[in-house]
Amino acid sequence: MAAPTLDAVLTGLAQKGATGSLRVGKDGILYLTRGRVSYAECADTPGVEDLLAASGRISPTRVREARQSAGTGGEGGDLLVREGVLSRGELQFCVLGATLDASFFLLESALPHQQAAPRTRYRDGDTHWLGTHWFFDVPGLFRECGRRRSRLDGVWPSAELDTRPVVPLPRIPGKHVVLTAAQWEVLLAADATATPVELARRLGRPAYSTLLAVRELASAGLLATGPEPGAPAPPEGPPGSGAPPPPEESPGSGTSAPAGRSQGASALPKRASNAAPRVVVRHPEAGQSAGQGAGQGAGPAGTSAGLPEVSGDPADMNLLIRLRDALEALQ
Amino acid sequence: MIGIEDCLSEAMSIPGALDAILVDHTSGMAVAGEGVQDPARSALGLTEAFRATLDGIALSSADGTAARIEDVIITTDTSYHLIRPMEMMFDGPLLICLRLDLEHSNLALARRRLRTITHQLIAH
Repeated sequence: MAAPTLDAVLTGLAQKGATGSLRVGKDGILYLTRGRVSYAECADTPGVEDLLAASGRISPTRVREARQSAGTGGEGGDLLVREGVLSRGELQFCVLGATLDASFFLLESALPHQQAAPRTRYRDGDTHWLGTHWFFDVPGLFRECGRRRSRLDGVWPSAELDTRPVVPLPRIPGKHVVLTAAQWEVLLAADATATPVELARRLGRPAYSTLLAVRELASAGLLATGPEPGAPAPPEGPPGSGAPPPPEESPGSGTSAPAGRSQGASALPKRASNAAPRVVVRHPEAGQSAGQGAGQGAGPAGTSAGLPEVSGDPADMNLLIRLRDALEALQ
Repeated sequence: MIGIEDCLSEAMSIPGALDAILVDHTSGMAVAGEGVQDPARSALGLTEAFRATLDGIALSSADGTAARIEDVIITTDTSYHLIRPMEMMFDGPLLICLRLDLEHSNLALARRRLRTITHQLIAH
């Protein structure tokens, strides 16, 4: 195999309806069940085991025991549900959350350097010890990862904070702040040395949610986003991004980051062109206040090429009647 | 004890139910839906509606403490939207969003049924 991309390998396995595990370099493993992704692990993201332990419901030792007694049968999840550690719904949500989180980083790391695609190794028939509790079809998984990427970029369009230590500002620019639970945890755990991924591990939260919280905090102006490497503007985007990133996503921003950014850029010209009709609308008032002579003199010249201004006053009515008569005479 | 998909079909069996969708509030992802035409779009809209409610209520709460929302009821000219957050073990909340016919539903009953269903989903 001449180093096919991860996308290609995964798509191929999906078409074959494969059941097994796909190791992606040293980063992680994707598990497939009949051609659909049923679990994923990534070195950077907490797995179900970590999330379970972080929730305080079960000790890491008991998770290990469950794993051992589950063996290769892939019944570990059912075992945990039977033991009352968590409900079936929670297990499904946990598995789907961990799978998406890991996939986001696995597929993402495969994207930028497709030439040096990570080495993949497929083991047929391999299953995860938790068993199968949720499925993602492969195209759907790619779509969701893309959607998550653009959601991140919609909040704060620069990726530079993703890998840097999180440094909250000692003093905030405003007087009042509303935080989400995730943002609170990030701020409390941030020690100016831990990166978002490290914070996620510490907090037992998905890495993606932590990344999102960090970018939201940056967008709210609560983090040091100083341009250490040298660029003067915080976001490294094109000139259009000179405007601050939108504080909240607009409904359309789910599509892509560049769309969100160009939206911001196009806001200015739009506003400028809106301003022109507004001058015309305001004109009758201006005429009243500034004196009729001045108003009538300045208005038409500025707005339209030589056409007479029309308002409700009798002179204009007379003009209209004369125009109508002239047009009728032409016929 | 029920799973995610059972929870949706249970919600759809509530009298007057038009459609139902489960949304991961953090990521804005549609987890599963029944009767929803464009789940991704609905998920985004409902996520924003819930976030706006959370922010607004947090700002307006007199004592400034954290706001905990039991459910959100929105009445439009044709339907009720019921949004109910479920705190999951990690991350979340998971939102269950049910749309009900204005004429053919009983709001009080629907609220109670939805509460029971969500308790079943996360009961252990």
